[in-house]
Amino acid sequence: MRRFVLKRIGSIAITLWLLATIVFVFVNVLPGDIGRKVLGPTAQPADVAAFNARLGTDRPLIEQYVTSMRRVFTLDFGESFQTGGPVTDLVLPALGRSAKLAILAFVITIPISIAAGIYAARRQDRLADRVTVNIGLASTSVPEFVTASVLLAVFAVQLQLGKVYANVPEGTSFLGQLDYLLLPALAMVVSYFGYIARMTRAGVIGALHADYTRTATMKGMDPGQVMRRHVLRNALAPTITVISVQIGYLFGGIVGVEKVFNYPGLGTMMLNAVGKKDIPVLQASVLIVGIIYMLSTLLADLVIAYLNPRVRLEAGR
Amino acid sequence: MSDVTKSQGEDEVITLAVAAGVSERRQARKESWRQIRRRPSFIIGVVIVTIWVLCALFPDAIAPFDPLNYRAELNQPPSGDHFFGTDKGGRDVFSRVIAGARDVLKIAPLAALLGVFGGVILGMLMGYLRGRFDTIASRIVEAFISLPVVLLGLLAITTLGNSNWVVIGVVATLFTPIVARTVRSAVLAERDLDYVTSARLRGESGAFIMFREILPNVMGPIIVELTIRVGYAVFTVATLSFLGAGPPPPSPDWGAQVSDNYNSIVAGFWWSTFFPAAAIASLVVAVNLIADAVQSVLGDS
Repeated sequence: MRRFVLKRIGSIAITLWLLATIVFVFVNVLPGDIGRKVLGPTAQPADVAAFNARLGTDRPLIEQYVTSMRRVFTLDFGESFQTGGPVTDLVLPALGRSAKLAILAFVITIPISIAAGIYAARRQDRLADRVTVNIGLASTSVPEFVTASVLLAVFAVQLQLGKVYANVPEGTSFLGQLDYLLLPALAMVVSYFGYIARMTRAGVIGALHADYTRTATMKGMDPGQVMRRHVLRNALAPTITVISVQIGYLFGGIVGVEKVFNYPGLGTMMLNAVGKKDIPVLQASVLIVGIIYMLSTLLADLVIAYLNPRVRLEAGR
Repeated sequence: MSDVTKSQGEDEVITLAVAAGVSERRQARKESWRQIRRRPSFIIGVVIVTIWVLCALFPDAIAPFDPLNYRAELNQPPSGDHFFGTDKGGRDVFSRVIAGARDVLKIAPLAALLGVFGGVILGMLMGYLRGRFDTIASRIVEAFISLPVVLLGLLAITTLGNSNWVVIGVVATLFTPIVARTVRSAVLAERDLDYVTSARLRGESGAFIMFREILPNVMGPIIVELTIRVGYAVFTVATLSFLGAGPPPPSPDWGAQVSDNYNSIVAGFWWSTFFPAAAIASLVVAVNLIADAVQSVLGDS
């Protein structure tokens, strides 16, 4: 197990390096100087030069690349173009707020969608299954900001349930916070329900038709036990993988949801950074999302390895 | 081994065998196409997409008003004159929704097509060549995949500026590694089969084996991937334009319309956001219904 973890961490370090390189390339491929882009066409040439000198964007690309990589691995992302303060001071609190929203969304999504997936699988090809599968398809394929704006119109405005602005005032109680966060979280629940439910359904159907399930049933095992011990244990591995992938991708969709509900999370901060061309902030946010994705897939691999000794043995080799 | 030693008879046998293979494949293709067409989800999807394509092709014939220059009273609710009401600029939402179909339908399929094209080439090389090239490329693909497309797109469009071509290029680039991964695993399953080995023994070039021998046999997963990618492209393009990385405000682009109007939902003017949002939803769901039908027929092969 230890060897397995070490191997995975090593591969994460390589992926992170490549990721940082991709982001660096995306930011630097374009011709022209960054100072001019940030300060606009009316700025004085001297100011542009001073800006570039201060941020080191006038140095040779190789040097900038080395600096940038060193920063990524020390988790120091430099200074924001807008505030001049360290990027980490801006990004981390925003990330915390987004994480709060994301965790709430997941706490609601996971049990509902796994239950729906199991339910649909046990009624394969019947009406309940068809309905679940198609709702899942529709809910997943619609962009989060669309779901969010429809929920906003229906619940917050027409029915007066939930808050229009999700910005939670300081010192609100836990339940009071739920009132603010429930609608935006629901928008994400709708988006992720489909993936997880469909994946669970496919996994359970596969396991229900497997030989070991038939053997267990034929030797007279209690159906509930067959379900728990044989079907679910085998069926949930792909579901866990999907969930972990969604944790990273959630930060793509959260941007739209935060914009609709004016929620001051990582997404809103990124959009502000886009407007101001605050590249260090954008770079840091994108990298942090990448790190979260990699950590969550690592966690998923560990859970799967824990559930299935075969995986553990093979991976450790 | 050389061609000179081949007799007339051998040539004929090869030609016949090839012809049999081709007609068999054509038969199978016909059969799966027939199965796809019969699926209700495919029919519903095609009907919706066709309606939007017609809107994109002939907006002037369908829309009652000019999407940009027509002005009426602001924020009127849906009525007989304005089916979807008017927005905060007094423009007719119905006409704007019709006109907005054009942007998405121009950008998304093209981006998906280019992404799949790039992905097929990269995935084919990875799966066929294997070795060091595959190891390195797989790492890069993995790094790309660990980021949400929308975030990387936002970053790229911020630095490159937003024009339709930039959006198409960025979305296609971000789809390439995702498609490559699918194609690679399909190619890995094929590359050790007898027909590939015999083509190699015949002395065919790598390019010939990849694109004339293997490609026809992995078309199933590629077509599935293409339909799925078109759906994601609509999703991504709409989201990017909602986030401000699309055409600027007066444009009737759906994502831009939602972005322009969602702040007036709070005042009770839900229609100027709801209808463009519903338009996006209907198009994405329709494309995904088609993709789902294609996948359930071709996916098993």
